[in-house]
Amino acid sequence: MGRTGLIAAVTLREALRQKLVGLLVLVAAGLVVGVRGLRDFNFGAPELKFIADFGDGAIAGFGAVLAIVLTAQLFFSEIENRTALTLLAKPVWRTEFLLGKFIGVAVVLVTFCGTLIATLAVVLGQREAGLRLEQPEAFAIGGAVNYGALVVAAWLHALKLMLLAAGTLLVASFAQTQIYAVMMGFAGFVICHLQGFAHGAYERSGASVMLMPAKLIHWVFPDFQRFAVEAGGDGSAVALGRLTIYAAGYTAVALGLAVYVFRRREV
Amino acid sequence: MTDETEAAVELEGLTKDFATGLRGVRLRAVDHLSLRIGGGEVFGLLGPNGSGKSTTIKVILGLLAPTAGACRVFGVPSDRVESRVAVGYLPEAPNFYRFLSGRELVAFYGRICGLSGAKLVARVAEVIAWVGLTEAAERRVGTYSKGMLQRIGLAQALVHDPRLVILDEPTAGVDPIGTAAITTLIRGLKAQGKTVLITSHLLAQIEEVCDRVAILDRGRLLVSGTVAELTAPSGGGPDRLSAAEREELNHWLAARGKSPTALSAQSTRLDQIFIEHVARNRPKEREESA
Repeated sequence: MGRTGLIAAVTLREALRQKLVGLLVLVAAGLVVGVRGLRDFNFGAPELKFIADFGDGAIAGFGAVLAIVLTAQLFFSEIENRTALTLLAKPVWRTEFLLGKFIGVAVVLVTFCGTLIATLAVVLGQREAGLRLEQPEAFAIGGAVNYGALVVAAWLHALKLMLLAAGTLLVASFAQTQIYAVMMGFAGFVICHLQGFAHGAYERSGASVMLMPAKLIHWVFPDFQRFAVEAGGDGSAVALGRLTIYAAGYTAVALGLAVYVFRRREV
Repeated sequence: MTDETEAAVELEGLTKDFATGLRGVRLRAVDHLSLRIGGGEVFGLLGPNGSGKSTTIKVILGLLAPTAGACRVFGVPSDRVESRVAVGYLPEAPNFYRFLSGRELVAFYGRICGLSGAKLVARVAEVIAWVGLTEAAERRVGTYSKGMLQRIGLAQALVHDPRLVILDEPTAGVDPIGTAAITTLIRGLKAQGKTVLITSHLLAQIEEVCDRVAILDRGRLLVSGTVAELTAPSGGGPDRLSAAEREELNHWLAARGKSPTALSAQSTRLDQIFIEHVARNRPKEREESA
């Protein structure tokens, strides 16, 4: 295992000891498991679709909190506890340090998405079996759960959360406080979700004054709407490959900038 | 073996400025510092708080880039990662991953420095035994006392058998027994032929273990030399007499039942040298306090 791998392993171990990680996983899993108790709030949607959408939302929401807060916490714990000082006084590149931190967080995020999607699949499977007995006619015309789409959703969530973690690491590389990195991370999360709508709206309105800044934001910030399962195309390997390259490109740029900034930072 | 003619650390006109505000005001932490620390020597870097010791150490470790001047470690510029291959560092008031055991911690840093397999296992056991933590090696670092943290810190600094060991205030906050243990360990490093760069406020400890010292204040080098040179008698002792005069003096003392050693010159203690030089560098403050 190289130095990056060693730093990633110790980061992962530290992450798993964080109470926040356990709390978020438990709450998100609790919501996914307990969603059947909330089916009265389905706004008329079919029950299985409601369960799937609710579970998907829980993963997206709690995953975003996990990605932003955990990344900032693990980075600043190294700086504030001065463990980074001892580590960077060894023959370690700052690139290796940051990549190790990122990989450690990324493993947590992928595990989080995988675990919760698996939980959601179990909940959907149980309810689907029950509904097949109660209302067999409803399944005669389709309506069965697409479990393949759940795997796609897990991957898309993981891509988005890793991108969010890379963005937070970029902010943390120059931020002086953890709270600033967290706030900027959430601001970035909102911008990345809304910028696609804003860009589309200005394009349709033809308002050239706002179109240029909207275009700039559209290029600078990744569009998180692309990672919604419905927007993920037909779920084919080609569509997933494109999204993976899109996310990897932005992640690489964010990490590259983070390394550039962190190399000049006093530890 | 350490080549004693090779410089472990060379600083040439090292200057480090920090920006202190948005208006471009800069604070000079290190001011044209030139030093050479030879291989195999124990070198003490002294100075009051804010004198630039820690900044100098950070530059040597490549943690800070100098504003001007050059810093080389075993001939390699300190901004290159290779310059740290043969360097071990114990920071002031060290803090480590609290969830690792002492053995896991030292092994982690050993792996970071490229050790692996049986060599790593043997070396980890060796340094842990050397710092006297074998019995506590399986305990989590979070449960260690301050003195134990210093010792495990020393173990991680030594695990890859570095040629240069940098100890930043190794006895800060440690009780007298722990301090004595660390002093013994530093003597052990010297016996192993390691170059040791040490900063400390305990001047008696520095005087005891260091071959050479340098005193800094406000980033500037005030004085440097061997401990013997700096603490040598400033004149007036019997050594300055001719052989005949000394003979006459000894007779005079013997007639009064005194030993000739009664007139041996009083050497100056390092703390006196330190205070004198720092006070001389701060005439304005001296006037104000007067």
